[in-house]
Amino acid sequence: MKIAVIVFPGSNCDIDLYEALHSVCHADVEYVSHKEKSLDGFDAVMLPGGFSYGDYLRAGAIARFTNIMPAVTKMAKEGKPVFGTCNGFQILTEVGLLPGALKRNNSQKFVCKTVPLEVVNNQTMFTKQYKEHERIALPIAHADGSYFADEETLDRLEKNHQVVFRYAEENPNGSLRNIAGITNERGNVLGMMPHPERAVEAILGNTDGLRLFKSLLTTGNAKVEE
Amino acid sequence: MTKVRIFVTYKQSVFDPQGETIKDAIHTLGHDEVKDVQVGKFFDVTVEGTGKVVEKTIEEIADQLLVNFNMETYKYQVMEEE
Repeated sequence: MKIAVIVFPGSNCDIDLYEALHSVCHADVEYVSHKEKSLDGFDAVMLPGGFSYGDYLRAGAIARFTNIMPAVTKMAKEGKPVFGTCNGFQILTEVGLLPGALKRNNSQKFVCKTVPLEVVNNQTMFTKQYKEHERIALPIAHADGSYFADEETLDRLEKNHQVVFRYAEENPNGSLRNIAGITNERGNVLGMMPHPERAVEAILGNTDGLRLFKSLLTTGNAKVEE
Repeated sequence: MTKVRIFVTYKQSVFDPQGETIKDAIHTLGHDEVKDVQVGKFFDVTVEGTGKVVEKTIEEIADQLLVNFNMETYKYQVMEEE
């Protein structure tokens, strides 16, 4: 599986994501600039955390207009794995590949700490190496991570098992229904505020994120049929 | 040329923590008569042309960029027309 890590102006977790895949998982991974127009030859694409375009207007709002985004949307429509963490999640909602939006944290503050999470759905290509309802811990680092969608959308997400991760104890940002990560209806696009790429090596104190990448890599050339 | 001010705020149904906090601060000033505060942002936009053509431009850029309709709403007013 060949994976693209997109680099936007203001991305700052692109190297973490690349190294989690390259050094730790020994995956075939390449940086791809936001200026590129094609993702031909790639089997999966990942949008890193950071502050693309300085979070101007709204987090992720401007990245939506970059050259690469139509290619990302194309891969999503083809059923190939698309993953966004933190700013990547915000971009995926802004471009409409995932429902809802990420608001400013209720505390109005940037929150940076490791938080307990529940794996709500372990049947996705990203989470199959976790146990159902498993408690894990991952770092979060964001100011705009409060997940918001209308009641109807929230009900639909739960009914379709699209809620993949929930904050397990405290809710760090005011996310509705404690949502930390969701997929699209087809299950091939995952967005989450926590950073699994920062939790892949024992020497850094936490390996709970590793199985997310391993789940995906053992899926092979994953593709969800419609 | 037309100068238009576009106001973007959270929808009524969306919790606005900044507005709530500012309202609390206003109450500590003794102004208990203030019942609601909503924080938003505005964009001053200068557009070539006048009337309906300008309105169409404003509505398109609001719909496609300035407003996230999941959580926000907007209104606009013409400030100057020449």
